[in-house]
Amino acid sequence: MSHTIMSETAISHEEIVDVIVGHARDILALESNEVGPEDSLRDIGANSIDRADIIMSTLESLSVDIPLVELASARNINELAEIIHVNS
Amino acid sequence: MNWPKSSMSIRSLSDIVISGIGVTSSIGQGKAGFIEALLQGRHRFGVMQRSGRQLPQLEGSEGCTGQPRSAFLGAEIASVSIPDSVPRSMLRTASFSSQVALATLCEAWDDAALSAVDPKRIGLVVGGSNFQQREMTRIHDSYRERESFLRPTYGMSFLDSDLCGLCTQLLGIRGLAYTVGGASASGQVAVLQAIQAVQSGQVDACIAVGALMDISYWECQGFRSMGAMGSDRYAQDPASACRPFDRDRDGFIFGESCGVVVIERADTAVRIGAGPYARLAGWAMGMDGNRNPNPSLEGEAFVIKQALQRSGLSSKDIDYINPHGTGSTIGDTTELSAIRQCGLEHAHLNTTKSVIGHGLSAAGAVELIAILLQMEEGQLHPSRNLENPIEPNLSWVRDKAVTHGIHNALNLSMGFGGVNTAVCLQKY
Repeated sequence: MSHTIMSETAISHEEIVDVIVGHARDILALESNEVGPEDSLRDIGANSIDRADIIMSTLESLSVDIPLVELASARNINELAEIIHVNS
Repeated sequence: MNWPKSSMSIRSLSDIVISGIGVTSSIGQGKAGFIEALLQGRHRFGVMQRSGRQLPQLEGSEGCTGQPRSAFLGAEIASVSIPDSVPRSMLRTASFSSQVALATLCEAWDDAALSAVDPKRIGLVVGGSNFQQREMTRIHDSYRERESFLRPTYGMSFLDSDLCGLCTQLLGIRGLAYTVGGASASGQVAVLQAIQAVQSGQVDACIAVGALMDISYWECQGFRSMGAMGSDRYAQDPASACRPFDRDRDGFIFGESCGVVVIERADTAVRIGAGPYARLAGWAMGMDGNRNPNPSLEGEAFVIKQALQRSGLSSKDIDYINPHGTGSTIGDTTELSAIRQCGLEHAHLNTTKSVIGHGLSAAGAVELIAILLQMEEGQLHPSRNLENPIEPNLSWVRDKAVTHGIHNALNLSMGFGGVNTAVCLQKY
């Protein structure tokens, strides 16, 4: 359960995508590098519990404290990153 | 319920037998490693090192010398080998107790060739409650003041029944699965439930798991404060601390373990090439009507007699007893009184807990396995630290293993809250 230490400068959208992808690959035990921002978590094999875990791990890493329900409308990783970015 | 009427061993197809075994302990994983180490009397008692087992350092303790605030003793498993068949994704959110159960269950599953049985005819009973305490404590400690980041999976993994979910998913078990709590008798209570699931026809094969009780520093502290867990006398000498039935005992010493047995009727067990390990000849459970942890001579004698009666055996037929024998000052004396009262003073006795510690929820199942493996080996394992047995005239196995072919064995398991259980096993 490690925190990512954040720098003082604002995090970029791309960095958020990287954090999401990192957690997704870890939680889903994915070996392939082919997870991209256009992918939806569901499509890469995450069930509802996995999705909740991936998103929560991301929020924790970034110290962004928003309810999971705020992210329910996101259709892919890019959109997740966008919502998080707005709230970070 | 069909209790056999004669004292002769009945090789009938309706016999209830044990057809598979899996075991993980501090002294070895897998039945071969376990019995080998047991017969040698090897141990791993020490100051417990697993994270969450000792009182945490205080926040912001100035000038802290780094001296630990506690030094609870126990026997911990060095490493667990998890089979490749267990997906990594499953392990990621499985507690230590669950991971060990999955690995141990795989051994028993293969041992009993359960893949050949219709999944809807297989059941699972997990003995133990609150067996993930250390995991819960670590999560609570970690997320205090940032609770909103708690992993969503906590909502399912905190339940003891998560272990049932994991096991039934891994192996495709469809018949039934639930947990049963009987404190330190849980492992044997699970066996009793598994027997009844098979006898009632609910399932054809029922797996009984004695879950690894993953205690935290809270439980250690509680047990120590009660005076149940040792040791004051041997705080500096962990190897000597666990001494059931010895004059200088001062409480139980915890030991991590997990035991799995597969129970079925002899007629379905014929699919396995090797014969079953033993026949479950008789069993009994009785309560003392007492919420407290103190033992009862009457309660223990009752289950012994009832198990014997149901097995069609007399006390003189029993040649080996695996007692509960925790190292409790009063528990050990009470148990020996019960053994005497039931006319069992001729039987061989040893103390599995002196070698592997008290597995709590797992103990009843693991000690049953110890009986089966000793039966197979034709040897009885040593009792460690039995320097001055409180009743020296009983047939103790002392510091070296002895050759003995077990025919009829008795397994005793008691638990806080007035729980008493006894099982009679016959060599098949």
